[in-house]
Amino acid sequence: MFANYLIGLREGLEAALVVGILVAYLVRSDNRALLPRLWAGVGAAVAVSLLLGAVLTFGPRGLSFEAQEAIGGTLSIVAVGFVTWMIFWMARTARSLRGELEGRVDVAIGAGGWSLALVAVFAVGREGLETALFLWTATRATGSTVEPLIGAMFGLATAVALGILIYRGSVHLDLRRFFAITGGLLVIVAAGVLSYGIHDLQEAGILPGLNSLAFDVSETVPPGSWYGTLLKGTINFSARTTWLELLAWVAYVVPVLTIFIRTVRPARPRTSAVPVPAHSGS
Amino acid sequence: MRRPTQILAVALLLVMAACTSSEDAFPIDVRSSDDTCEVAPVTAPGGTLAFTVTNDGSAETEFYLYAADGTEIISEVEDIGPGLSRTMTLKADPGSYITACKPGMVGDGIRATFTVTDPG
Repeated sequence: MFANYLIGLREGLEAALVVGILVAYLVRSDNRALLPRLWAGVGAAVAVSLLLGAVLTFGPRGLSFEAQEAIGGTLSIVAVGFVTWMIFWMARTARSLRGELEGRVDVAIGAGGWSLALVAVFAVGREGLETALFLWTATRATGSTVEPLIGAMFGLATAVALGILIYRGSVHLDLRRFFAITGGLLVIVAAGVLSYGIHDLQEAGILPGLNSLAFDVSETVPPGSWYGTLLKGTINFSARTTWLELLAWVAYVVPVLTIFIRTVRPARPRTSAVPVPAHSGS
Repeated sequence: MRRPTQILAVALLLVMAACTSSEDAFPIDVRSSDDTCEVAPVTAPGGTLAFTVTNDGSAETEFYLYAADGTEIISEVEDIGPGLSRTMTLKADPGSYITACKPGMVGDGIRATFTVTDPG
């Protein structure tokens, strides 16, 4: 039962994390009106995943391995695109905070609202099909044992609870810290999703190098352990990481994090103290 | 709402187009425990094969079908928790293959050879 619990937790954690941050962002930026769109995106992704999963589990047709990996890999890379867009969107908001230390952020999101719903769709849908297939398999087993289904549901519930904790924890941070922490976290999450996508495509034989490992720490961090599960579920840490995955991870994190920090960090010499005129000497 | 709906519809069509049929598939039973991997039978006729993998162990397991070189993945099925069974359906050409259960998702797995013969 514990192993099934961990699978549920692993599959749900990353989506819960991203959605938690999205909700916190909308609340902090006074865009609560957009929350229904966000939940519509989440709901659509969950519904489609469950529907497809049921058709593939109970119908006469299954999904070929190549198709499943290609879908997983492609959705992951698309999801990275959307999350990256969101990171810089948040960063621009953070920059608009300059000189406004404790004020509210009024950001006109406008057309960005639907893109935001799409971020939710891909964050949830990326692993949605895989999770749905697992859930329906557990449901089908209920004839002989209900333990796997109970374990899986508790795992998913824990993931959702952790997402709520992320929301609660971040929503009370002061704004600057809020953007720095959630944005930084999203960069690491997105990089993990990218290398996960690369791994899927390597498994499908679409990309080469599945067996040239950069490191293998599966003795120290067993994928079946609770800490291995947490690392996999949040930042997609893989105990056996290929060179191509590592390369993609570094190639994403270094520039994105650099640009993010530059965008968020206030230009200190000019705006460190609001009342003091910046150009007093000239 | 139009854009997300369209994207989801396209995704649905793509998934449906990539399906494999398990009708008329040759059934193979795999029982994976924490330290064994029993595949029966170990010979099958070329065509559509359906490996039904049951996890009798206490750790999560995965099942792989490799090419004869033992590295190229022909097919795999993941997320098989204790007490669950999942079916992996694929089209296999005649030749030698390697099967592997990976209880705990670590290492090379418990491996054995598997033969696909010319369909008679």
